[in-house]
Amino acid sequence: MRDVAIIGCGMTKFGRREEDLLELLMEASLAAMKDAGLDHRSVDAVYVANMGAGILNYQTGVASALVDRLNLLPAPADTVENGPASGASAIKNAFLAIASGLYDSVLVVGGEKMRAVTGWEATDFVASMTHRQGEYIYGVTLPSLAGMFARLHMAKYGVKQEHLAMVAVKNHENGAKNPYAHIQQAVTMEGILLRPEAVVNNPPIAEPLRMYDCCPVSDGAAAVVLCAAEKAKDAPHPAVHIAGFGQATDIHAVYQRDDPLDLKAVRGAAKAAFEMARLCPQDIQVAELHDAFTILEIVESEQAGFFPVGQGHRALEEGATRLDGKLPINPSGGLKARGHPVGATGVAQVTELVWQLRGQAGERQVSQAVNGFCCNFGGFGNNVLAFVLSRE
Amino acid sequence: MEVPKGYQCKACGRVFHPKRRFCLGCGGDQFKELALEKEGTLLTFTKLHALTMDFTTRTLMLGIVEYPRGVRALGQLSTDKVEMGMKMRHRWEKVREINGQEIYGLKFYPASK
Amino acid sequence: MADLEGILRPPERQLPPYPPKSIYLATGEQMVVRPAVREETSMLLEAIAPLLYVERDFYDIVAARTFAELLGWKRYRVKDEYCLVGLIDGQLVGLVNGRTLSSKVGISYHTLALRRGLRVGAHLFASKMEYHIEILKQKYVYITAESPIGFRRWMLEYDLIQRPDIPHELGGVDVWTLTPELYHAAKDRLVVGERPVPAPLLKTAETITIPEEAQLVQQVTGRAKKRSS
Repeated sequence: MRDVAIIGCGMTKFGRREEDLLELLMEASLAAMKDAGLDHRSVDAVYVANMGAGILNYQTGVASALVDRLNLLPAPADTVENGPASGASAIKNAFLAIASGLYDSVLVVGGEKMRAVTGWEATDFVASMTHRQGEYIYGVTLPSLAGMFARLHMAKYGVKQEHLAMVAVKNHENGAKNPYAHIQQAVTMEGILLRPEAVVNNPPIAEPLRMYDCCPVSDGAAAVVLCAAEKAKDAPHPAVHIAGFGQATDIHAVYQRDDPLDLKAVRGAAKAAFEMARLCPQDIQVAELHDAFTILEIVESEQAGFFPVGQGHRALEEGATRLDGKLPINPSGGLKARGHPVGATGVAQVTELVWQLRGQAGERQVSQAVNGFCCNFGGFGNNVLAFVLSRE
Repeated sequence: MEVPKGYQCKACGRVFHPKRRFCLGCGGDQFKELALEKEGTLLTFTKLHALTMDFTTRTLMLGIVEYPRGVRALGQLSTDKVEMGMKMRHRWEKVREINGQEIYGLKFYPASK
Repeated sequence: MADLEGILRPPERQLPPYPPKSIYLATGEQMVVRPAVREETSMLLEAIAPLLYVERDFYDIVAARTFAELLGWKRYRVKDEYCLVGLIDGQLVGLVNGRTLSSKVGISYHTLALRRGLRVGAHLFASKMEYHIEILKQKYVYITAESPIGFRRWMLEYDLIQRPDIPHELGGVDVWTLTPELYHAAKDRLVVGERPVPAPLLKTAETITIPEEAQLVQQVTGRAKKRSS
């Protein structure tokens, strides 16, 4: 198996965008190709991550349309749909294709145009990945699964609303330093939790989760260029290596899992990624976790092995996950503040790690980052991917 | 009224709801139909305030109930006056209408009035 | 001519004033909610004019109608109209307006948030309902919606009663009514803010400033400030 490096990345600003999906994908793709110093002749294949253009934008065959717009014909191109983990899945496909020796350089771009529909339609669209007979028909949405999960976790480990709010405050503070973030605005603990106004500022969404515990609905795209490491020497920026990768699936209906609090797929994906990289969680200096809900950042930080199970909220209290902490988590602002255009997220996580490892993250730069970790969480943890990235 | 059922794996005895082709525990594909037990325990719940467009109520109560034989089921709750560990009884009721089609499912009521 | 103007101009009634309040927002900023006076309408018209052409989320419809209502107030063509403004450090972040039909009945006109994502619209709408029910002591407020956001926020959040039998003067869809009972049932979760507003804070809200057009359109549409390369 050949080593695979990331030689270019780029993204659009996330948020409400007026451009259509293809324009967003193009913007990110061109930025990544430019960053990698590639022209259209040197792209061997394209993987496009997208969860719902067929539903949200009445656009199917996204990858085929994109290679035409980018003048990449006749490069092979596929659209990869794996729910909110589509982005990491597309990168995995590119990684395998290069590692196998089939292609040398591959463009991966993930994007979603969710604000084309109302928030309620977007919520329903995302809910369509839940178990039809066991969950969806009852009105289940992703926030409702997260709410039920959070209630169980909080009761078992003594996690308080304040801990959830700490995740939001931290990630908004980071997002305010990220020019690509959907929400570039810091919030205060007083404003979202402690003051009487918080009942309106931060209304309940799926109790005990409130608005600031949930990611926004975003448009946006992110792209990376992967290359065989042996051919990455001429790239304009130092290569970042995909040192490890892991993926695991779990039972579809959350309530059917032996222990609904045990996110086995997160553990499995992280373990495999660390094993392949021959690294352990202590070797990581920066992590991008899938905080579609604040509770998930806490739990993923435990299940990935950074903190003991039931202790993730303690690490938050100690400030360990802040930008200047021992293990900064979500320096980009995470899904919470950077936003969550579902198909783009996994690629955006990797993009952020590349910037961090290259030392290009500006105001939100983590110091001395050599190895980074990210976790892209599909479904409610039923299909999870993890990467360990390392700089030269 | 339709009776909500559990499906017990003939090989290992594990019970599921709804029906599955293969047992999650042992992979068995033979199941025996059982009525879900009358009463279960509320494992967790949420009051959902952000509903999809087809609901016209402001909030919706959802919860997961665990029955004595170990099978769990998710359903709507009849009230927001609930707490974890409470005993619940199900009824089979209309829970949603999707594209004009009435969907029936589990609705849980507190066991003691 | 003077007589004709007298016929065209509705009699003016002094409505009890809305006592200003301050609301602490998620960002830690303080929004002062206070009534606007007629002399400020020119500035408000200038502030919302750029939104007349913003289709997103029906801003064009709401802005155009609000524009007409405020112009009507300015030039004495609407009876008993009022407008509440939301100000952060003096800058206009949102406004709501309405009028009274009779001592018992109020009419809610529009809610326009110029900064989004901070629940400015929700706070201002709540202030408007507070004015009708608690200050004007009205028995009914007639409300209608022109956007899905409005419908979801007002009709469902306040559990309003649908009254197809009453025409709303904006035309369009049915009237939904708020009563004191519904208001008080919803008050704890929807109506917040502190009174009296401390003098130094109130002073920041004395003079209204308005956002620049480009900034305003960016705030409302979320259009990127600059294209990323």
